[in-house]
Amino acid sequence: MNVTFPHMGTLHIVLKAMLTTLGVRAVPPPPISKTTIEIGARFSPETACLPFKTTLGNFIQALEAGADTILTCGGAGPCRLGYYATVQRDILRDLGYKFAMIVIEPDLASVWQSIRRLAPGGIRPLWPAFRLAGAKLRALDAIERAACRARPRAAASGDVDAERLRALAAVDEAATPAAAAEAVASSLRRLEGLPAGSGPPPLKVGLVGEIYVMLESGVNGDLVRTLGRMGAEVHPTMLLGDYVDTHILRDKAALRRSEAVAAAAAPFIGHYVGGHGMKSVGHTAAMGRTGFDGIIHVFPFTCMPEVIAKNILPVVSVQEGIPVLSLAFDEQTGEAGTVTRLEAFVDLLRYRRKRQETAAAAQKQLN
Amino acid sequence: MPPTVGIPRGLLYYYYGDVWSGFIRRLGAEPAVSPETTRPVIEAGGSVDEVCLPVKAFFGHALSLADKVDLLFLPRVVSVAAGHYSCPKIIGLPDIVRAALPGGPPLIAPTVDLRQGRRSLCRAIISAGQALGRSPLYSLYAWQRAWQEYRKPAAAAGKPAGLSRIVLVGHPYILNDRHICMDIGGKLAAMGMEVVTPDKADPRAAAQAAAALPKNIFWNYCRQLAGAALTFLAASPPPDGMIFLTSFACGPDSLVGEQLRRFAGRRGVPFLLVALDEHTAEAGLVTRLEAFTDMIRRRRP
Ligand code: SF4
Repeated sequence: MNVTFPHMGTLHIVLKAMLTTLGVRAVPPPPISKTTIEIGARFSPETACLPFKTTLGNFIQALEAGADTILTCGGAGPCRLGYYATVQRDILRDLGYKFAMIVIEPDLASVWQSIRRLAPGGIRPLWPAFRLAGAKLRALDAIERAACRARPRAAASGDVDAERLRALAAVDEAATPAAAAEAVASSLRRLEGLPAGSGPPPLKVGLVGEIYVMLESGVNGDLVRTLGRMGAEVHPTMLLGDYVDTHILRDKAALRRSEAVAAAAAPFIGHYVGGHGMKSVGHTAAMGRTGFDGIIHVFPFTCMPEVIAKNILPVVSVQEGIPVLSLAFDEQTGEAGTVTRLEAFVDLLRYRRKRQETAAAAQKQLN
Repeated sequence: MPPTVGIPRGLLYYYYGDVWSGFIRRLGAEPAVSPETTRPVIEAGGSVDEVCLPVKAFFGHALSLADKVDLLFLPRVVSVAAGHYSCPKIIGLPDIVRAALPGGPPLIAPTVDLRQGRRSLCRAIISAGQALGRSPLYSLYAWQRAWQEYRKPAAAAGKPAGLSRIVLVGHPYILNDRHICMDIGGKLAAMGMEVVTPDKADPRAAAQAAAALPKNIFWNYCRQLAGAALTFLAASPPPDGMIFLTSFACGPDSLVGEQLRRFAGRRGVPFLLVALDEHTAEAGLVTRLEAFTDMIRRRRP
């Protein structure tokens, strides 16, 4: 069994660890490229959203590379994601591919069934598989956070990117949870040791929106890195661990955090609207009160929950006094266009900060 | 003077509008439904960003009522059946309207979520009544009467009349809004086609057909459409063609439409997808319809 799955940021490292420990071969799709998006878009319904097209491209490229089983997620709505697998399976079958598809639906029975299919040698390795995958997931999140912090502070942000890639590879190779933790620890030390730059103190920018576009640098114009290079410390509101803690493990602290976000959203949006639309609004309001310079809101073009958020965020922005830039991504979004808009936004944030500082200084003199 | 309660003529109005009006009247208020969609209505609704045409139109209707009514009736219909949802944009509608219409009239926006049982409907009815100063019992009774009075029995399917039969699939708020759909039904009839719409399908059969799908279509209203389309496709002889009328930026239709295209293909029924937005040109639409109906006629033995 050669199992593939859709890409989303560094998720492939986690899934590969899990599958390999269970005793099946993992065939991650090639990294998302222009070609992936082109192939996916060619065989998708025109008005499907970008993650649909990109993940279809992933599947086609992986099947071409020898995968025979697709592992993907289902869902019970109201976001479109829950219906992806059904349509993608039909498209791939009609294209003539032979494969099995394992769709993990959000109910225990289905999860269990999927696990049984993925562990042909029995479920004994299940616990070690989860442990290793879990350790890698934490490691990857820690690296991502550290890189976001280091980029705007380093003399050369390229050094941070190089270190990040090195750390990802080390985590990927780690055979035990301890090795994964060690890989992170030494990488964090190296990031700390990088020579500091002489620029102004970094801007604090919150990243809110739809998780796929937020995490997948192959479709978001590599936005986190670009912002870091421009001197912004990016705070993604959703890394892999956040998702797993809230939706799968239902961890107490994580649930409390998401309740707080929902409470911050409540004055603006009165009900769950699927996906992360409510979180986008809640995080923006909360970050507006905690010293952030600005918010970037990202989502796939026509994403229903986020389009609702987009129409509400201008009100949040005014009431909480925080600038918000909404960016929709589709297969035509070029990196160049994104960079220009980010530059303009960062300039605006710098200008605001300077004005606030001057105002504060004037106030001080008056007193 | 009784307060006037505005009901925008859009989206779920096309399912429940009469019941809503009756309910509001029985609560002692004056329902005010906005007039039919026009171009300026849609243009006014254009200030809502990146949404589908029906939501733009809806917002235009809400805007046109804003300075004429005391309250706006805008229930938040999350779900009308266990395991099913409305489209996210319908769920978030009151929030969008609130954000885009600052200083507008207060909303009566009770939440209806039947995934949590019928109690949710009762709560919604009671809270709507409260907004108009009515007691819970009074409101529940008013709803009961309005529901009995206005719920229309489903119309029976028309007899085939020897004409080519085209199934026209789309949400009622598209198909029944003559401006949004550019009267596509009338145009097809003028081209000599017999047009059948999802509301003509037997609801029981449609529900069964939808239930037999490999994956539950969890958007309630799309599920109804798909079920109806499937019953038409299963009839023998199958229809001569199927047109799926949707809106650009419609999330659910983008996937459900793709499935329908495949079902139609398997039954050998020609399929045409028409996606509308505010820039759709009527002439272009007519050309596409003509080409499609010509092709259907040529296929006929
Ligand atoms: S189902 Fe489609 S057309 Fe209807 S409100 Fe949702 S996105 Fe718009």
